[in-house]
Amino acid sequence: MKFLTAKKFPTPKEYLRACLAVAAAAALAGAVSAPVWAGGSSFGDDDEEADEGPAYFGFVRDTSGNSIPDAKVTVGIKNRGGVVTRSDALGTYRVPGFGKDVDTKEVDVSCEKEGYKQLKTFRRTPANAANVPIVETECTLQKG
Amino acid sequence: MRTFWLVAGSVLLFASPGAAQSPTPTLAGQVSAADAGALEGVLVSAQRDGSPITVTVVSGVNGAFAFPPGKLAAGHYALRIRATGYELDGPQSVDVADGRPAQVDLKLHKTSDLAAQLTNTEWFMSFPGTAEQKRALIECMSCHTLERIARSKHDADAFMPVLKRMTGYANNTIQAKVQRRPADVDFPEDRARKVAEYLSTINLSKGDTWPYKLQTLPRPSGAATHVVITEYDLPRKTIAPHDVRTDANGFVWYSNFVENELGRLDPRTGAHKEFAYPVLKPGFPTGSLALEPDGAGNLWLAMMFQAGLAKFDVKTETFQLFPVQKELNNDSTQESLLTPSHWQVDGKVWTNDVRKQSVLRLDVASGKYELINPFTLTGRGKQHSPYGMVSDTANNLYFMDFGDENVGRVDAKTGAPTIYPTPTPRSRPRRTMMDAQGRVWFAEFAADKVGMFDPKVEKFSEWDVPTPHTYPYDVFLDRTGQLWSGNMSSDRVLRLDPANGKSVEYLLPRPTNIRRIFVDDSTDPVTFWAGNNHGAEIIKLELLP
Repeated sequence: MKFLTAKKFPTPKEYLRACLAVAAAAALAGAVSAPVWAGGSSFGDDDEEADEGPAYFGFVRDTSGNSIPDAKVTVGIKNRGGVVTRSDALGTYRVPGFGKDVDTKEVDVSCEKEGYKQLKTFRRTPANAANVPIVETECTLQKG
Repeated sequence: MRTFWLVAGSVLLFASPGAAQSPTPTLAGQVSAADAGALEGVLVSAQRDGSPITVTVVSGVNGAFAFPPGKLAAGHYALRIRATGYELDGPQSVDVADGRPAQVDLKLHKTSDLAAQLTNTEWFMSFPGTAEQKRALIECMSCHTLERIARSKHDADAFMPVLKRMTGYANNTIQAKVQRRPADVDFPEDRARKVAEYLSTINLSKGDTWPYKLQTLPRPSGAATHVVITEYDLPRKTIAPHDVRTDANGFVWYSNFVENELGRLDPRTGAHKEFAYPVLKPGFPTGSLALEPDGAGNLWLAMMFQAGLAKFDVKTETFQLFPVQKELNNDSTQESLLTPSHWQVDGKVWTNDVRKQSVLRLDVASGKYELINPFTLTGRGKQHSPYGMVSDTANNLYFMDFGDENVGRVDAKTGAPTIYPTPTPRSRPRRTMMDAQGRVWFAEFAADKVGMFDPKVEKFSEWDVPTPHTYPYDVFLDRTGQLWSGNMSSDRVLRLDPANGKSVEYLLPRPTNIRRIFVDDSTDPVTFWAGNNHGAEIIKLELLP
């Protein structure tokens, strides 16, 4: 038995390669194939990442800069829902990208852990940066 | 009166001295093989002439087996065994008479056709190739065994039209009833070619024998032999029991995956009854997948390509059908799962539309469905599939994203989705159940794991299943805290203790394609139920002390 660990996450290079591959395939096929299943993917799972915006990545730390594992991290969009994950043993979290139509400025990253309160989130990736593969955010929690 | 009862009691005690301590089995014996002596873990099955019921026990150490009292009535029984690598020499049948225990010693001999005895899991173990190559084959098990592929002689070119043809079959297809998919689906030629090439390396296209050694799983031993399994044959091969569950009156209900019938079995007598519901879309595949009860004891069916839900009133034995309205209904509309368990809270039943990769919500009063795509926020190129569903007491939905790796929640009041990625990537969570504490248990089909999500703390736990390539389909946490699981590949039922991860796998008597499982918590010990989706039978599994 184990608790939540980091989810697979493409490096920027992998991400771009996947994008290019999918774009090429989509251009050839004219469409991205839809699943067939009750059911399963047709002939192996192709993790297509078409139309995906930047992924969200970052650290959860305390005020002394120590990493905080197993903190709840919510990457959400106001009133539209979001993705909830937990920081890993190194205090990092990773969430794959939302759709391209989601403006990264509307995406809010917050963190929680029992015994702590959220002090601040600092977005390392500038909000106006265009076509970035990753939005990096640091979330700081304070004891008490 | 008091005196009478005392006397009656003492007479009973005298009449059967020691009966409670050492019950006399109605049929017992020993299993052995010339090459190996006494064999533990051999399944011995007995079926009375003309009866649809087969009872199976497993030999223990020294090859001894015994049917518990009350399991066999007097009569002439055909005998069958299951022990990978062996066949039954004899005797092939035995007479069981009232009051006298029958004794039969079974002799086995080595089989000359081991391949005919392999489970899908054992084929997966035997096939050479990468995990990625094998992954493509897990969909094949929906309709047929892997033995079918292994025995074929197609080369890669010959496989291409076969694969194309198979993408044209509906999910609710079994060998006894093939149904065509009403809407065309894409056939990704390049990916299919890779699969075809791989298949041609694991079949008999290059010779009369397989170019690899056939691997087998060990026979049951120890705790895995302390079990009695009862199989109820259903009267037609075209009955494909998908979801199975018992009710408070002791009846077993099941959905038929390929026909518009709801089935009911009385396990006490073997009596079987079917309740037909009308065709909503003529020419489209028939049959339903999920069968779930609501709070009032009505049974609901997800009608697959018939596009809608059916509610069956158990008291009046009548159906009420809820077809998906025109605006949302097209040739690929497919409702496979649903959760009506708390619909009385807000008048809504959750279901899905597979092709739209979306959740649907039925307003029972108006009969109208509302489309909710919980993945509007995520990359559209990704494949998602809201599949296994449960709802909490406020009718908030928890669903398994079978296409990917998420547990999703849709808020009953706001409709807002929250996505929780499972710790294991590409886990493809499949069916699910909610326990009394509100925890969500689920099978991770593509990860060979079972999982639990606790909504209270928003945390996951995961456990490896003991045998790789079993592809868990469903789980059920019983009242004693034991987690059961069934699958389409190993012919084994898993019982796992989440407290320590220890588990026992119970081998079933026949090739068994299990979908939804159910554990009846009202018996002591609990009783496990499942259907054999490809074998037209209902299976009951009881633990022996």
